Amino acid sequence: MDLYTVADAESVVARARSGDEGALEELYRAFEIPVYNLARRICRTTEDAEDVLQETFFEVCRSIGRYREEGSLWGWVRTIAASKALMRLRRNKYRETDELRDEVTGHRREDTALRMDLEAALERLSETSRAVVWLHDVEGYTHEEIAGMMGKTPSFSKSQLARAHHRLRRWLGEEVEI
Amino acid sequence: MTHLSMETLLGLRESGVEPGEAAAREHLECCAGCRAELERLHQRVARLKALPALRPARDRWPRVAERVRAERRQRRLRAGGLVGLAAAASIALAVALGGPARPAGAAGEQEIQLQMARSQALESALNQYHPDERVLDGRTAGIAEALEDRIARVDRELEMAELEEQQTRDQQLLKLWRERVGLLDALVDVHVTRASNVGL
Repeated sequence: MDLYTVADAESVVARARSGDEGALEELYRAFEIPVYNLARRICRTTEDAEDVLQETFFEVCRSIGRYREEGSLWGWVRTIAASKALMRLRRNKYRETDELRDEVTGHRREDTALRMDLEAALERLSETSRAVVWLHDVEGYTHEEIAGMMGKTPSFSKSQLARAHHRLRRWLGEEVEI
Repeated sequence: MTHLSMETLLGLRESGVEPGEAAAREHLECCAGCRAELERLHQRVARLKALPALRPARDRWPRVAERVRAERRQRRLRAGGLVGLAAAASIALAVALGGPARPAGAAGEQEIQLQMARSQALESALNQYHPDERVLDGRTAGIAEALEDRIARVDRELEMAELEEQQTRDQQLLKLWRERVGLLDALVDVHVTRASNVGL
């Protein structure tokens, strides 16, 4: 996703670097929805996602002078957003999801032939699994990049993704005997 | 027949060559079940990508902008404090030495330093009222915001003026520092008057 042409991006970044608040707001308006969407897919609550949105753009405003224009502007903003969302996730680690509680208590609700829609199934994944699914399958990060952002190994990212797809397949009723 | 694991199927979607990929592809050729599984995986990812974008319920830009402004104010205050102290020290030294008349052009420089010191004093005075922690009525907040915007513009012009030739630079700096002092004076008035009115 690139919301700006290279020339437009250079112009708005130059104005933002000189402290032009209008240019900073322009950046916010351009990337508000994709940043919120990424944050909301990773974070458990809308409150957390809105906080991530706010933190991301505060960081963008502070660091715009350090943006090197080597990759796309969206790529740079997205990496800040992903880091902030993962930071929030680590902070809220004490909050376990239904999925994890089920495992601990031995309940196997997924065996009751549930058929969820994709939104609900995604929401039901653990926060870590959901983050890996979203960053890898939708945002296109590699396992190495995800591992770097999460402070884990690429193998961890791969196994989280495989577990998540196992669960999604079951919850979506896609499991077939082969 | 042992079917391919989810991890192997996912590995087949990667652009790099995963260990055991050749054998996995060979298995796919002869296993309709695994081909179907891979196809479902592709479809699931496509559906994930097609999920509608979620939108924030509230506009968070005002909060971001307010934090950016507050940080800039703090930065200016810190910079102004250092510049003001240096200016005040140099003026005090000149007075103490009571030295010979300064060369032409120095008067302008001294006037700039005086304006810088006033600017710093006004910022310190403003800071005493902790403007970021106070709730203003809509009209007052609008006036304060307009003044802060103008101060920010003057600060940007000051940065630009520093790069100009000596002669033009001094005139421009003096003009801008005077303007900054005037704006800060007005901003202090806005906050202090309001604080007095409501007995804060």
